[in-house]
Formats: sequence, structure tokens, C-alpha cells
Amino acid sequence: MNEIIEHIKKRFPVYEIGEGPNGVILMSVEASRLVPMLTSLKTNHGYSILVILSTVDWLEDCKFQLTYIVNNPEEKRDLGIRVFIQREDAEMESIHTLWEHAATFQREIKEMFGINFPGSPGVDDQFLLEGWDNKPPMRRDFDTKKYAEETFFPRPGRETNDPAAYMKQKLYPDE
Amino acid sequence: MSNTIFDWKKDRSMFPEPDKDGKPVVELDSQKYIKVWQGPNHPGVTGNMALELTISGDEVMEAKTHVGYLHRGFEKLFERRRYMQCFPTSIRMCVPEPDINEYNLSRGTELLSGIEVPEMAGWLRMIALEMARLQVLLRTVPGQGGTIGLGLPAQWGLYYRELILDRFEELTGGRIYHMYILPGGVRGLLPDGFKKRLEDNLVKIEAFMKEVDRVVYSNAVFKKRTKGIGVVPPEWIDQYGATGPVARAAGYKRDVRKDYPYLYYDRLDFDYNVEHESDVFARFHVRRKDVDTTIDLLRQIMAKMPEKGELRAETPNVLHWKIPRGETLVRCESSRGEYLFYMVADGSIYPRRINLRGPSYTHGVVLLEKLLVNANISDVSSIMVSLATCPPEIER
Amino acid sequence: MSLKDIFSPFTAWGKAFEKPVTIKDPIAERPGADRYRGFHKNDISTCIGCGTCETICENEAIDLVPVEGIETKDGDSGLRPRVDYGRCCWCALCVDVCTTGSLSLTNTYTWVEEDPEAYRFTPGVDEKPWDKEEKGWKKPEPGYEFYNLNRVTMEHLEPEERDDTFIEMVKGFSKEQAEKEADRCVECGICTATCPAHMGIPEYIKAIRNDDLEEGLRILYDTNPLPEICGRICTHKCETVCTLGHRGEALSIRWLKRYIADQNPSEKYKKILNSEFIEKNGKKVAIIGSGPSGLSTAHYLALMGYECTIFEKLSKAGGMMRFGIPEYRLPYDQIDKDISYIESLGVKIKYNTQVGVDITLDELGKKYDAVFAGTGLHMGRSTRIEGTDHKNVYQAIDLLRKITLGEEVPLTEHIVVIGGGNVAMDITRSLARLQKQKYGKVGIITTSLETEDKMPADREEVIETREEGAVVNPGWAPQYIEIENDKIKGLHVAQCYSLFDEEGKFNPQCNLDNLQFFEGNMVVESIGQGMDLSYLTEDLKHDLEIDRRGRIKVNEYFQSGIPWLFIGGDIIQGPDVIHGIANGHKAARGIDEFLFEEKKDTPKP
Ligand SMILES: Cc1cc2nc3c(=O)[nH]c(=O)nc-3n(C[C@H](O)[C@H](O)[C@H](O)COP(=O)(O)OP(=O)(O)OC[C@H]3O[C@@H](n4cnc5c(N)ncnc54)[C@H](O)[C@@H]3O)c2cc1C
Ligand code: SF4
Ligand code: SF4
Repeated sequence: MNEIIEHIKKRFPVYEIGEGPNGVILMSVEASRLVPMLTSLKTNHGYSILVILSTVDWLEDCKFQLTYIVNNPEEKRDLGIRVFIQREDAEMESIHTLWEHAATFQREIKEMFGINFPGSPGVDDQFLLEGWDNKPPMRRDFDTKKYAEETFFPRPGRETNDPAAYMKQKLYPDE
Repeated sequence: MSNTIFDWKKDRSMFPEPDKDGKPVVELDSQKYIKVWQGPNHPGVTGNMALELTISGDEVMEAKTHVGYLHRGFEKLFERRRYMQCFPTSIRMCVPEPDINEYNLSRGTELLSGIEVPEMAGWLRMIALEMARLQVLLRTVPGQGGTIGLGLPAQWGLYYRELILDRFEELTGGRIYHMYILPGGVRGLLPDGFKKRLEDNLVKIEAFMKEVDRVVYSNAVFKKRTKGIGVVPPEWIDQYGATGPVARAAGYKRDVRKDYPYLYYDRLDFDYNVEHESDVFARFHVRRKDVDTTIDLLRQIMAKMPEKGELRAETPNVLHWKIPRGETLVRCESSRGEYLFYMVADGSIYPRRINLRGPSYTHGVVLLEKLLVNANISDVSSIMVSLATCPPEIER
Repeated sequence: MSLKDIFSPFTAWGKAFEKPVTIKDPIAERPGADRYRGFHKNDISTCIGCGTCETICENEAIDLVPVEGIETKDGDSGLRPRVDYGRCCWCALCVDVCTTGSLSLTNTYTWVEEDPEAYRFTPGVDEKPWDKEEKGWKKPEPGYEFYNLNRVTMEHLEPEERDDTFIEMVKGFSKEQAEKEADRCVECGICTATCPAHMGIPEYIKAIRNDDLEEGLRILYDTNPLPEICGRICTHKCETVCTLGHRGEALSIRWLKRYIADQNPSEKYKKILNSEFIEKNGKKVAIIGSGPSGLSTAHYLALMGYECTIFEKLSKAGGMMRFGIPEYRLPYDQIDKDISYIESLGVKIKYNTQVGVDITLDELGKKYDAVFAGTGLHMGRSTRIEGTDHKNVYQAIDLLRKITLGEEVPLTEHIVVIGGGNVAMDITRSLARLQKQKYGKVGIITTSLETEDKMPADREEVIETREEGAVVNPGWAPQYIEIENDKIKGLHVAQCYSLFDEEGKFNPQCNLDNLQFFEGNMVVESIGQGMDLSYLTEDLKHDLEIDRRGRIKVNEYFQSGIPWLFIGGDIIQGPDVIHGIANGHKAARGIDEFLFEEKKDTPKP
């Protein structure tokens, strides 16, 4: 394992290399170097499976994290590669040329987070949300609760009391 | 003889005709094609999912998967739920086999916060997971017959599934949604006499599987309709990330329980169930063997598990269980293949991101869309069921 | 494919002769499993309306609603959970988290009603067919808890380490311990109502969890300007109602408060509490007595811009906190820390100034815009049994004061203490320490009217007193002190079998056949204290309303019949520091209102 990490380190400017609690090695790389790195992993090092392409919204840092987890079925190892991109007008290179089904992930991410993957087949097609006209819903600044409250009406007759506030009102209202 | 109805199989590139960009256009006005929607409500579709099929005669020209009929945004809902509150929500991401969600979520939470569950809880988790697998297989194995009109065995299977659900009910308090495995451990020991009752059920199920063998497995019609149908070329397996029985039916030795042992699977004795033809029948056959393996595993677990032990590890107060920043990957083998959670914690009491990657994500989308091309419309359900697509795990 | 494959499917016909496996409707004959998660059941007499079930419910299916016939009182919000089955998913997290164990689910399978509103009800209040059903989901036992039911142990000095010294015996929490203890809190807030000062308890505990101790300090000072002191010796009424106490040990609220105060250095207080610049409003208030009530009044008035002067009879501030409570429980430097912060707000303390002697109340009334009196109870009460006029019979309170002042404390090798309250334990333990220092051994017997189970002293006080070598022998009524040659020989007691008569009046009865003699050369009485109101002249008393038991009547803002005179603390309410603090806070608000709003122009007498 270390061998390949050394190898990657030599060839790509990776940083934040660390082992996750399940023994998964995770590292970050500049967005521009991702595709060459994945290509090398896939073709030269047996990381032939794209396990997941996931997005994390770090709203407070104005960043999106894209995590590409690839798997080497021979060695039974996973490698996670993180890429941080700007949240504003987010865009990332597509990897459907490496793994065709990445297009599905990318299509979903486009819809849910609003990250564009130019050239990814069907990336603009709706995936789950037919007729959605709001913010991409998985972005953290989309408030599901607020949306639900504005869009739907609550069942009448629901009201609750906070025990401490209620006790104050009952037992010592003006203290 | 190009462009005749007999020829198109060989030269599909011309049919449907490509437009000037080289993209095939299905010109509906040409009257050569019809568009048929199979689903979202259709007995031949698993769950609420639709296939938009363009057919010519009874051959499928193009297939498109449409999901979104069930989308309840669970991954979004996790954002405002404490880790403990996530677990009853997570199970809805796979209705037939909810326990894998409970397990992954709990294990991920434990990994991220560095908690080890008591040994007893680990064995009980295996019981629940294997029972869940058996219960699904009791639907899908005879159910594969249902897709070609052999409805009876599928009905019988439901009864045997109920037997396992009875065991689930007494172990977990629920029949479908068990909510048994939770962060820190499990929610109950085996009730008195449970092992005996489960063993009785297993015996009955074994007898039933013999019947399935007679009525489905060695059925000339079934073989005719499933052999050579829906063949997944082995090189697609890695390329599309296919897992579980789909990969095993293509000759790959892939099983999370063996490849990335979790819980105490490494203490159990079992093997990969592999076939090579990679068609609907081969996948059925792999699942059929999985039934036996699962029954055997349940017996092994019952024999090897400790008699007494703790249910749950000591955890922080679940109301404010903060998890330090970190990421992890948890996977387990579901009845359909590798079931994986990618979890990110950000130091708060709520998870930053829980992302599910279930087998259907490729089986039900890319793989299905590809396999259906050139298939006969009467085989669509059969192929779909053989891939065990489960829309809620695509939509989450 | 073989011929077999063609024939074998026909074996399916065999099924036609089998017995059907389906169950006939209604399925009532097949009861749910013992653990089945059906509809909710709540034992509403056990439930206290803490709302933890509501907090854990991920579907917001629970509302807390008032229920007729259930009163809101200490330790019970009077609310009960109402479940909306339009949202509930029967996960039973609410059951597993329930702090009192009142909530459960029944194993009822089916329930059909036409009215959708019926599917929202308050379990235990709205009658349901399954109310008597015993089976169903209950919190799994044992070792399955969603929070820790046991306290983090507080480290104490061992008896042999502490029995000859006045060094503080409670060590205080480390960061790790405090955070672990704070983690147990379920944030229900039931305790807040019971705290006399209504402190924001869940909020400051949360600040500990978030490791934001500055925020914690701000929350403490909102309602309590003596956190170092209260964090050590508060009577912690809050802990008696803590919802965790129903199935486990109550939270150590007091020690957590101490932790916050301990961790914040006094130099940073003014910055943290944002009290560096206070605009003066030009009004002056005099405060008599530097006990908790006086200090609290001064603190809150000073924050509002008043110029406050405290007149204190003794040479040091703190009242009973300094001169009563022994140092091993409350070190003087901690008192100083709290008080010096109050002084830093501009509060002046005039020591050795007894109102009524060195300055009259009238004068104060004229010189200042308002006066607050919190002079406490400083005169020991006597049993008045034969022999109490002997010079070697002392009042606990006087001895404790001497100890604080560092004066010579009378001591003999054998001492008898009369009293069963905390003050009696304080003097016993203080004298025991002095005996150990002087004679190398302890020789002290403490006796009380009340029997062991009825002694008013805190249980742990009694235990610790015994650990330190003193004898506590309760249940005896003092008869007379035996004196021989002007020397005390000891105390004669008789067994006391009842304290109150049928009407509930204090009227101890004793059994004169069961007598005891406690040997000792010195007797200390510790049966309560009385007030000294000699500073109230007859003229002033005339304007005050005094009830039958000699207590001055005040309104809810502790304003007396004389509009500019506010009175609080032990002389009005008592019996502890936190009540004094609450009184002072309220009085400060009353004074502010009195001076700035309604009665702005009322001429002063
Ligand atoms: C031994 C002992 C132990 C106790 N332990 C605890 C405990 O653990 N926890 C707890 O909460 N409570 C405890 N208490 C009770 C608590 O100390 C009192 O309830 C509290 O101090 C009362 O506050 P106060 O402001 O009313 O008066 P005090 O604290 O009694 O203060 C009154 C002040 O006024 C001064 N004063 C009196 N007359 C005049 C005058 N004419 N002019 C000027 N100054 C005057 C006095 O010198 C004194 O400083 C204890 C009491 C005693 C005696
Ligand atoms: S958690 Fe239990 S005690 Fe608290 S309100 Fe709910 S049912 Fe009542
Ligand atoms: S069972 Fe679950 S969903 Fe229902 S009220 Fe309780 S916590 Fe909420």
C-alpha cells in the first residue's frame, strides 16, 4: 500500500493524506490533477472500480468537496481522493470517459448540488426531481424545513410547550 | 438487405438513425417505434420505478430508467437529525432489506466516534442481517419465476418469508422495519426459545426450496426463458461497478462478507457462490445457492454465538453525541450486493453527509438501460428482477 | 434440458392438497409478539413531562400538552406527551430515552377509527383499549441506556487526609470529568423552576459541553453573582428534581457550576461579563449586611448604574457564608473572588459599621435614595435547659465566627453538641478538626431530637462527620447539663419518640425511662438562630407590618411598608444562600422600579 502512496506522492501534488477509521486511505488533490491521477490509478494500479462519487457541501468555507472512492478488487483496497472546488459556479471535469456510470453520479450531483460536469452525457437531464424550480436541494443553504413549512400546511391542532418555559409561565411568570 | 427488419440486430448503429451529431434519434413519427412506459405502477417492476421503453415490434430499442417516484430526500433529512435519530430514517432507503441501513449507519457512527460494540451485539447483528437476507431471497428467488408467469411459487415464498418476519417480530418488535441495530449495539437479546423456532423455520424453508427447485429451477419453460437472456459481459462488472449476485454470476468471486470481513463473518465457514454464464438463469442460480449459504450461516451463528453478553456499548448521551471531524466508508453485503455508506462527520451532533451507494445505483440505471437494448419486451421484467433493482436506494 | 425439466413442475399440484397457511380474519387471535411496537402507553403518574421523548422523536410526532388534573409543580411540568400517529414511525426511541421509564408501546396490532383526529391522543390520559395491556415494547434492560445514569464521581479528600485540616475537601471536576458529567444532561429544564434563582441550568451545562466556559460564566451571572460560592455550598434544590434522578443519579449540577467559575480567572471576569464600563445613573442605594442577599442586591443595582454602599458590622464581607460555613467546605479565597468582582463594579463596603450603632437607619434613609437590609440571623438560640447559663455552654454560631476571625476558640477534650441540622454538623466537624490538631484525637458527641432518618442535616454531612471520628447519636431530648464544682460533667438526655403533636405543632415527647448521659466538659448548642433587628427604631417599626411570628411583611419585590426600605435574605425568607441571592436580585429590580418608574416623586420620610 505504502508503495503506491509513495508513487502517487511523487507524481501528483497530493496533500492531507490520512487513514480513515476503516482503514481507507484518503487524500486531497488539486482539481486539475484529478483526472490524470484517476487514469493512472485505473490503468496502472488496478483501481478499476469507481465505488462512489460523493459531494460534501462545506457551506461555511464556500467549498464543495468531491470524494472519488476507487477500489482495487485484487488487493481489496479503497482509495479516497478528495477534490475541493469553489462553491460559486461550481464546475468539475467529468470522468465518464473513465467510468461510464460516473455519468449517473454526475447527473445526480448536478441536480442535487448544482455542480456542472461539462460533457457528461445527460448531465442536464432531470434525475429525481421533476419540475423542481428551487435551489439544488442538497445544498446546505436549502432549508428543507422552511421549504416544507412554506409549501405545505401543517396539520391543524398541533402545538407544543417547552417544559421550562411552561413552568415559568405557570409558577413564576414575572421573575 | 440493409435497414430491413431482419438486419437491424447486426447493424444497430443505423437503427434508430443517427442525427447530424451522430446521436441516434428515435423518430416516433416514423411509426417504426412505440414508446411504452413500464411502471411506475406495474407488477413487472420492482418498486415504484419506471422504464421508458422505445420498442419496435416486440424488441426494445432504447430503455431509460426513471426514478424519483419515491424520493423523500433521506440524505437531506440526515442533515438535521442527530446520529441516533438517523437510524430509524435510514432504514427507509431499502424497504425489503432495511437492516443493512441500520447496520451501516450504526457501524459508521461507531467508527467515526471510536466505539467498539460488545461481542454479543455483534453476533446479534449478524443474526438480523442474515435473517434479512434470507427473507429477501425468499421473495426474489421464487419471484424470479413470477416474472415469466410462474406466479405460484412467488406466492408460496411469501408465506415462508412471513415465518422469518415472525422471528423478526419477536426479536425486534417490528416485522418490516426492524429498527434493531442502532449506534452502540442492538436493542434486544434473543427471546427464550428463539433459536429453536428459527431452526424449525429453517427446516421448513429448506423443504420449500426443494419445491422451488422442482417447480422453477428444473422447469423447462423457465430455463428456456432465462438462459442466454440478459447476459452481462464479464468485463462490464468492474467497469460499471456491478456487485453481488450479478458479479458472482459472471464468474467473479465478490462478496463483502469474505473480501472485507465485518462483524464475525471471518469466524464463519462459507464460500463464494459463483456461476459463469452471467445470464438471468445464472443470477437466479447464484441466489438460489445464496439461500442455502444463508441458512447454513444462520445455523453457524446460532451455534457459535455467546450465550450471554452486553447489548450496547456505553455511548455519549444520544441527545448530544458529537462526532469529531472525519470521514469513513462502511460496507456490507446485502442480498443484492455491496451496500456502502460514505459518512462525513463535522464535529457537530448532526452528520455532515451520509451518502449511500447501493447496488441498484448501477444495476438499475446504466446496467439495466444497456441490457434492455435488443431484449424482447416480455423479458424486461425478468432482466430487471434478475438485477434486483431497488428504486428507493437509488433515490434515497 | 431433460424430460425431468418438463415433468417436475407438475409436482406443484401437490400443493393443492395441503392445508392453507393463511390466518382467518380477524387476526386478533394472533397477538403481537411480546416486544411488538404498537401504540403508546404512558404511566402519567410517573411521567413528569420532561419532554425528552419529544426531543428524540425524529419525526416530530410528539407534542407536550397540559393535561387537566395534572398540576405544574416542582419536578413536574404538568405537561404530558401527545402522539400524532400521522407522523409516528413506531421506532420507540421515545420509549428508550424516557427518563422516568413511564413510556412504553403495547403489542396491539390493529386499531381502526373513522375519525382521523382519533389518531392523535395523549397516551395514559385519553383512554384506549390497550391501556391494561402489559406486553409490548419496553426499554431493553440492562446495560442499555441512551445516557449515563451514574454520576461522575467527585473526588474528595479521604477522611484521614482531612480530619485535622480546614483545606477544602471537595476537589472539583477536571475538564474531562466535567464534560462527561455535563453530557448526561437531557436539557429538559425541569430544574430551573425549582432553583430559587431560576438559573439557566441546562444552558450553562450546555456551555460546558461546548467548552465555552466564558458563555457559561455569563449565564451564571445572569441570575447568580456568587457562582464560586454557590458552586460549593448551594443546597442544590435543583438536583432533587433532576429527571435523571428518577431512574439513576441526579446530575451534579452544583459541581458543574463550580467548574465553570473555577475555570474562569478573576482578571478576565469584567471582560467576559462585559461590565468594564457602566454608566452611572446618579442614584445611591445603601445596603445593610454583606451576606448573599446584600451582595446580590448590590451587584444587580451596580450593573444598572446605581452607586451602592454596603454597611457591614464585621471586619469582613460575606455574612454567614464566611462566618458560618466552615472553610473546608468553602475556602475564603473563593468568597473573596466572588466579592472582589462585585466590588470591582464600584460597590463600596464599609466594614466595622453596625447600623443602629455606628449609623442609624434613619440617616441612611435620608442620605440614600433607597435602603436594602439583609442582616441575617446571627443570634444563636438556646435550649434553655438547666445549666445552659454556664460559661462553658456556647452557641455554634459564635464559635464558627471565632474560627473565621482566627480568635482563640474554647476547646476541651470531650464536647457535646446539641443539634441535628447542617449547622450542627459544621460545628461538630470544625471542633473535631481543632481537637485533632490540639489533642491528636477527636472526642465529640452530637445529639439531636430527631432520629437518624428524620435528621434535617444532609445525609452525606452525617456520613462525613462520622468518617472524621465524631459520634452522631440522634433521637435524644436534652434534659439538663450536669455541673459539678462549676465544671461541666456532661449532658443528660432522654429518648425522644415524637416531635410533633396531633395538630402538627412542635411538641417533643420523650421516654423518661430510657435515659442516657453524654460525657463532656463543654456543650455547644446549635438549634437555630434568631434575628437582631435592633436597628429598627420604634418609629420605623410603626410603619412596618409585622406578622404574628415576628416577620416583617414585604411585597413581592421585598419592599417593606416603608417605601424606601427593602428587606430580604434570611430575615424574610431564607434558609440558604441561593434564596438570599434570589431575594437580592428581585429587590434590585424592585428598587429600580421604585426609583425610576412609578413612585419617582414620592417624598421620603
Ligand atoms: C453554619 C452555617 C452553615 C450554612 N451552610 C449553608 C450551606 O451550606 N448552603 C447554603 O446555601 N446556606 C448555608 N447556610 C445559610 C446561609 O449562610 C444563609 O442563609 C445566608 O448567608 C443568609 O444570607 P443573608 O444575606 O440573609 O444574611 P447573612 O449571610 O447572615 O449576612 C448578614 C450580614 O449582615 C451583617 N449585619 C447584621 N446586622 C448588621 C447591622 N446592624 N449592621 C451592619 N451589618 C449587619 C452581618 O454581619 C452579616 O455579614 C448556612 C448557615 C450557617 C449558619
Ligand atoms: S420522556 Fe418520559 S417522563 Fe419525559 S415527558 Fe416523555 S414520557 Fe414523560
Ligand atoms: S415511536 Fe418514534 S416516531 Fe413514534 S413518537 Fe416515539 S420517537 Fe417519535
